[in-house]
Amino acid sequence: MSALKEYFGNIFTAVKTVSKGMSITGRAFLKSNGMIKNQGGYNYGAGPVTISYPEVKDDIPSISRNRLFNHVEGCIACNQCAVICPVECITIESRRKTPEENPDERTPENFGNKPVKLKLLQFDIDEALCCFCGLCTEVCPTECLVHTTEYEYSKYDRDSLNYDYLRFKDDNPFPK
Amino acid sequence: MIVTDEGHFQTDELTINMGPQHPSTHGVLRVELLSDGEIVKGAYPDIGYLHRCFEKHSENREYVQAIPFADRMDYVAAMNMELGMCLAIEKLLDHEIPERAQYIRVIVAELNRIASHLLAVGTYCIDIGAFTPFLYAFRDREQILRIFEEICGARLLYNYIRPGGVSRDLSRGMVEKIREFCKYFRPLLEEFSQLVSGNIIFVKRTANIGVVPLDKAISYGFSGPNLRGSGYSWDLRKDMPYCGYEKFDFNVCVGEGENGVIGDSWNRYYVRVKEMLESIKILEQAVEQIPDGLHTAKVPKALKPSGEVYYATECPRGALGYYIVADGTKKAHRIKAKSPCFISTSSIDEMCSGMMLADVVAYLGSIDIVLGEVDR
Repeated sequence: MSALKEYFGNIFTAVKTVSKGMSITGRAFLKSNGMIKNQGGYNYGAGPVTISYPEVKDDIPSISRNRLFNHVEGCIACNQCAVICPVECITIESRRKTPEENPDERTPENFGNKPVKLKLLQFDIDEALCCFCGLCTEVCPTECLVHTTEYEYSKYDRDSLNYDYLRFKDDNPFPK
Repeated sequence: MIVTDEGHFQTDELTINMGPQHPSTHGVLRVELLSDGEIVKGAYPDIGYLHRCFEKHSENREYVQAIPFADRMDYVAAMNMELGMCLAIEKLLDHEIPERAQYIRVIVAELNRIASHLLAVGTYCIDIGAFTPFLYAFRDREQILRIFEEICGARLLYNYIRPGGVSRDLSRGMVEKIREFCKYFRPLLEEFSQLVSGNIIFVKRTANIGVVPLDKAISYGFSGPNLRGSGYSWDLRKDMPYCGYEKFDFNVCVGEGENGVIGDSWNRYYVRVKEMLESIKILEQAVEQIPDGLHTAKVPKALKPSGEVYYATECPRGALGYYIVADGTKKAHRIKAKSPCFISTSSIDEMCSGMMLADVVAYLGSIDIVLGEVDR
């Protein structure tokens, strides 16, 4: 008798729990088709949750940290970003300006109005090494080094991820 | 197969490599299983595939530069990794932290705890063989990652908490968004629990499997949900409060044995589900009480602490402690992280011996190890 009871009890539990799960799944299905509405005003589960990525792109916040970009015209070659980078992916070369090379140039008023004594010769960022910690953009005194929101820049070889910003031609993350 | 003189089958032991690319080892863990038929005779975890020299790297960088490396230890709960490291450095520096910064830290740490537990229970369901709960868990985890992206600009490796405070204040409307998330997540957590916790297939796969008795758990040095699943109420947020956790009203969840016995896989799973609810409680209180003020204290650019400190915080996977020996220079003399996942990994051999082969997956998933933290 008890074996019979256990047998039917098991069947009952199986049907009960599976139907409970299926009802949740079914509710989600109906919600996603707009056939039933949520109570309480929260629109979870209504409509698809995912986006069809390569065709449709998600809005990402402007502070999102993705590929680095340096506006070299504002760069004063202070080397602070290269010093603070934990993975040493920034290479800067500079030399002292000669008297012919605009020695009176100063940084804009809102960035301290400091004299620009150095001439930038090389500014490389190896994006293959970058760990997107954002420390370099925080220390930049002229805010010329920024994280852009561009995240699709895969390349076929590692060398082409080394961006030379003084000779930067293609791949401008700020298209017109 | 050889038939012995007595007429019994003489079976042979077979070594099976589980991993390093096995989906249920949650990373690059290789478990060498010694099996006799379906019975596991021994399970030897082989770690080190994800070793990235966190400690040595951090000793060769300044303190601020070492925080991105701490992020990469437990990459699904990076905020909690940073929090412990920054609290340890602040203890060395003896700095006062503004109250707003403390509240922001609690908010982001609890949000990340929910995200981490959602990943833990979601992937655990996949290991067991249920695919739908995983999608439900990741749908909600995505909301948290979006909040993080707006708070600090990154989805996974934040580098947000710094010595002295946080790197930027909560942007406008963030408090409302977090409040909205709490309201949104409460019913969904209930739905998730209904879908999984009582499901007979899930219970049969996990209850009474991989039982870690309390004395074993303590002698191994378990902490976090794994220890609480064995029925011992020990939570550093409650017992050794840091970062203002004493101001919040929440319960410490322990395994109560609703299904199976205390200390089995089901109870460890259920402790995580209950803990998410407690995290929401903390979040709701924190967004109500968050004061105005500065988001960071004034700290010198070059940190030069001295002395030594051990500071443990309650991370989603247990108590993670940092031991820092500072010698008054810009770089630490020694940084050591005591990882709770490493301890959980060390229990695999004893707990899995004698199990059925399919139950190893149920045990591995329930202790919720992240190999980034085991190998460091």
